[in-house]
Amino acid sequence: MTATIAKLVMRRFLVAIPTLLFVSILLFVVLRILPVDPAAMSVPPNATLAEIERMREQMGLHLPIPQQYLIWLGDLLRGDFGTSTHFRTGVAGLVATTLPATIELAVMGMILGGGLGLCGGLLIFYFRDTRTEAALDVGTIAVLSLPDFLWALFLMLVFGVVWQILPFTGRLSPDLDRPVVTGFLLLDTLITGQPKTFVNALYHMILPAMALGISAAPPIIRVLRSSLLDTYQEDFIHQARLRGLSERRILLRHGLKNAILPTLSLMGVQFGFLFGGTLLVEIIFSYPGMGNLMVDAIRNTDLPIIQTVGLTYCVMVLLVSITVDSLYLILNPKLRAR
Amino acid sequence: MMRLPPWARSGRVILGLSLVLIVVLCALFAPWLAPNDPNRQDLLGTLMPPAWAPGGSASWPLGTDSLGRCILSRLIYGARVALTVAVIASTGAMVLGALLAYAAGYLGGWVDWLIGRIVDIWLSFPPVILALILMVGLGSGIQNVILAIILVDWTRFCRVLRAEVMVVSQRDYVAAARLLGFSHMRTVIREVAPATFPLLITLLALEMGIAVVVEAILSFVGMSVGSDTPAWGQMIADARQTVYQAPWNVIFPVGAIFVVVFAFNILGDGLRRTLDARLTQTERS
Repeated sequence: MTATIAKLVMRRFLVAIPTLLFVSILLFVVLRILPVDPAAMSVPPNATLAEIERMREQMGLHLPIPQQYLIWLGDLLRGDFGTSTHFRTGVAGLVATTLPATIELAVMGMILGGGLGLCGGLLIFYFRDTRTEAALDVGTIAVLSLPDFLWALFLMLVFGVVWQILPFTGRLSPDLDRPVVTGFLLLDTLITGQPKTFVNALYHMILPAMALGISAAPPIIRVLRSSLLDTYQEDFIHQARLRGLSERRILLRHGLKNAILPTLSLMGVQFGFLFGGTLLVEIIFSYPGMGNLMVDAIRNTDLPIIQTVGLTYCVMVLLVSITVDSLYLILNPKLRAR
Repeated sequence: MMRLPPWARSGRVILGLSLVLIVVLCALFAPWLAPNDPNRQDLLGTLMPPAWAPGGSASWPLGTDSLGRCILSRLIYGARVALTVAVIASTGAMVLGALLAYAAGYLGGWVDWLIGRIVDIWLSFPPVILALILMVGLGSGIQNVILAIILVDWTRFCRVLRAEVMVVSQRDYVAAARLLGFSHMRTVIREVAPATFPLLITLLALEMGIAVVVEAILSFVGMSVGSDTPAWGQMIADARQTVYQAPWNVIFPVGAIFVVVFAFNILGDGLRRTLDARLTQTERS
């Protein structure tokens, strides 16, 4: 049985490879149609035309686009992500320092969003067929109507500016030293045994993670509600009632247990969206993750960074979706039979 | 009296349509409604509070921004950009997505496979990232914002609609049309497409809300309209610089975006319930 699952998961990985390849082609072609000249941007402003031309050749920009793409792909596969034309340092290093921050934020956001979604779904199901349900339902639509980056601004205003109880810039207060072991700040502060820094980092994450979580929750609420409604049509719920179980026990032990699978698979989709959402939330909170790196790179038309960061986001989305699919296989015995 | 169809009697649809109508009127009659020229700067009256707050003035009902421009007038004019993008971009995304969905769902086979793979590639991008990258390639400007939204969001229509088209194509009346000698083209246009319209309309309403958000995001990072055209995202980005002195300036454009997106969402939700369109929650975010 485990062998079948392993085989299915492997197949998912294999399917992801061509997808990623086409993603990289798409990225490369889109960024090559842009009207600026990366060579001209890589030399000092007082460079002569001949110097720019030399730079073009050095960067391989005189070659046809398919050939340029193959060179870039070859470099990527060898782990060479290029050099930032603006910072003049390796892109790999820049991504490696910002990616953990983004992952940490996205995971926190997802935990909050999942928690809110589950509680909200159970609550709205509990009030089914009442006026409260209709009100809560319109409430979820309202919550859904404010995108994550506007939630970020709103939370920042309320808890940071007006009510000054939570910090809203960066990952850590400037007076604290930042331990670097894995790059994941919460983990690093625990490893090095700095509880004060850990708490400080956690405080800095509350508002951005809340913004992500709140906007990820409404779809989870709605799917959990509708799949609970479906589950309650089943005979075993009726039988549980006949056996005299309490409503609460029926909901948690029989209803939720069976309704959770579609919700889990939706959470996977939401997690992918949430990764995209981190970009603007990071900007609002000046959070030093990949989103800020990306937007800075866009302002400077720093192609090597844009390409690599864009690709990294896609790799993250694909990894999340493979993980969720695999979890789904492990948890759902019906799918394993095939 | 003529009995209204169920969708026109739904409270959600009425609420959504009324709110949309108000915003449409604001956009259409902006020059008459706005108390001031949205671009007139008054450098002696910057960051004025709203009229009801201490120090506010009735000439600037919602106060002024960091360049002394009237917030209310900019909000009203900003509705023009938001609605233009919402209408054109979502219609474009719908047309592109629907055409591919009809092709994939009706023809099946390798066409379906190919379109399915393209959708997969698109879905491995977080939408915001793909929109930003497209904007880098296309350059800023409202036409390119519209184009970017079409090129990113056609998948939302294609994915959902393809499944629906596949179901409809199996129906007996479609087979009957073919037996009557209808061409494939005519069968799709006359028999398959009408059955998918309820779903299409619902998706369109939801997509309009999404388009407003994407435009706000792109103008927030300075890639949408030029600085002489008021847009809500741009107002938020400007107001963020002076959030301590004038928190209100952030709240108003955020509120405007919220109202418009809520209007489209509640309208879409009402349509989904009353038109019984098949739609899962995954399509909404």
